Amino acid sequence: MGNLYVPCRAVLEQLGVDYVIPPVNSQRTLSLGSRYSPEGLCIPFKMTLGNMIEAAELGANTLLVPGGYGICRLGYYTRVQEQILHNLGYDIEIIQLGVSERKFLGMMDIIKRVSNDSPWRRILSAFRFGLSKLNAVDQIERIVQKVRPVELIPGTANQLYTRAVQAIDNADDYDTLKRVKADYLGQLKHVAINEQARPLIVGVTGEFYVVLEPFSSFDIERELGKLGVEVRRATFISGWTKFSLFLNPFGINEKSRIHKAAYPYLKRDIGGDGWESVGEKVLHAKEYDGLIHLAPFTCMPEIIAENIMPSTKEQMPVLTILCDEQIAKAGVLTRLEAFVDLLERKRRKQNDQLRVTV
Amino acid sequence: MKACLGVDVGSVTTKLALLDESDELVSHVYLLTQGRPIDAVQQGLRDIRKQLPQDVDINGVATTGSARYLAGVIVGADLVKNEITTHAVAALHYYPDVQTIIEIGGQDSKLTVVRDGIVIDFAMNTVCAAGTGSFLDHQALRLDMSIQELSQRALTSQTPVRIAGRCTVFAESDMVHKQQMGYRVEDILYGLCQALVRNYLGNVGLGKELEPPIIFQGGVAFNQAIVRAFREELDTEVIVPIHHEVMGAIGAALMAHEEMATNNGISQFKGFEQSEVKYHASSFECKACPNRCEVAEISQDGQTLARWGGRCDMWERVSSTQLYSSEEIK
Repeated sequence: MGNLYVPCRAVLEQLGVDYVIPPVNSQRTLSLGSRYSPEGLCIPFKMTLGNMIEAAELGANTLLVPGGYGICRLGYYTRVQEQILHNLGYDIEIIQLGVSERKFLGMMDIIKRVSNDSPWRRILSAFRFGLSKLNAVDQIERIVQKVRPVELIPGTANQLYTRAVQAIDNADDYDTLKRVKADYLGQLKHVAINEQARPLIVGVTGEFYVVLEPFSSFDIERELGKLGVEVRRATFISGWTKFSLFLNPFGINEKSRIHKAAYPYLKRDIGGDGWESVGEKVLHAKEYDGLIHLAPFTCMPEIIAENIMPSTKEQMPVLTILCDEQIAKAGVLTRLEAFVDLLERKRRKQNDQLRVTV
Repeated sequence: MKACLGVDVGSVTTKLALLDESDELVSHVYLLTQGRPIDAVQQGLRDIRKQLPQDVDINGVATTGSARYLAGVIVGADLVKNEITTHAVAALHYYPDVQTIIEIGGQDSKLTVVRDGIVIDFAMNTVCAAGTGSFLDHQALRLDMSIQELSQRALTSQTPVRIAGRCTVFAESDMVHKQQMGYRVEDILYGLCQALVRNYLGNVGLGKELEPPIIFQGGVAFNQAIVRAFREELDTEVIVPIHHEVMGAIGAALMAHEEMATNNGISQFKGFEQSEVKYHASSFECKACPNRCEVAEISQDGQTLARWGGRCDMWERVSSTQLYSSEEIK
């Protein structure tokens, strides 16, 4: 999922675990996943099942799956996927990495087991290095989001981003990592941009997996960048890891601000990221020009969120896009273009009115 | 005479509209795409050329519709716009106080919500083509009548039959069933129109506020029975503009005019002679990564003009051939 493989590789490498990283998500991943999944399941299930099959083909015997036990059916996914893999004849075990019903202690057990009983000091230092890589990747991505819409030569930021992720992935120690990070941050700073441009700001929210995995959501951030729109996204893997792996077990939750914002319209967690989607609209209505809400097809929590959003007092145009293997990209692009036109015309009209009042 | 041209290439029909400097419609063309968008655009250019005076000077051209990028390459578009925006712009031009725009075309149906002259929301049919022109065409064909006749006969219905309209396949089997039961064809046809309207309002219109004035445009607005069904279902007046079938092209022309006026640019229009040029469209499977994208390309005299269809932007720059040995990847 997204760049999650970068920190995972770093941790496993440091711990001396023999690992394989499945190939990047492609049409083949999705086709494999869809073929062996029940039709009505959502795209995160199908994509991850595809990843698992591709990993098994490379000889993996244990699968590490970061993820919690949410309220929606996602909580059962790894168990179902394990069964499907067994039926396909792969002798494979899935270990879910996240907070289980045994809270923190349960997770400690899992980590200890995965790391072939390494001493705790070594485990901690491996995780620290993985997290630094993750933070570096996310930091660069945030800058790329800002450069993309205003760059003079389209595609420059994307190319730098791809190379930066690769370089960070290859870095073996803190020094190299630091140097690579500084190098790419510097290069991004010097990309020729249109100084006058005041790009529209559009938030991207919705279900965690489709928001973070560009393949499953039609490369929406790149497409928005091409249309000259700056993307803001609250969900980053680094933030999620920090909380769901380290702080949630102690009851600290970064999302309380978002939940509080959503509270007048939705009073509890409904699974997935439905609560957060509503909260983000309320929280950022003044700050963003519009919001794109990504939802996997058949995702119950996001469907509920979609239907709550139009009724909030805080107004902001929202475009919900359903992500599914059956949906053609052309239709999504037409909607995106129209949505951006809508926001642009709205802003132009508001500016005109301002001028009249002045 | 200075003028702006709008070209709307849809799934079923191709529309061209020419506006003069004061945005008055000078002439328009409406023809079938028949799955050959390049030929349709060239034929359209020939047809509209015949209707124009000799001294016409094209100042700006914009393309829209599902083949907008392809058409844009052929005519040399100054602007390529999606059909949702162009339809809204055209509707607002003729009816500045419009609040709701219903648009039903060959394979898609859209709803645009406008308040105070700004589009604030829109919806488009997603996975289902029920309620669009193609389905009506298909049913007319099955009953061995023209689409005009279907509309006329449906209007004579006194006691419409209820048809299941959620899905075209179910609607068809329900229609067959009702025919076999002996219901009158008129009543079944009007029942079908009502079902399509219900389906549209229940899917595309779900959760949207449809305030009057309501404009109904697109090819299906030719069908008086559908118009009547909308009026009855919404219990309000539904306005069908005179040139409802070319509103997308008109909107494109209006936007081309606006674009050229603000940027003071010189039009890229390749001229009406383009209708005689031979274009070659083809596609190949890119083997650079496991995605195996099907990339389409359009060329003229062996020279590639444009490519699209890939997930990444590797092929979008035409000069990519120099970067990648194309034989290897194709």
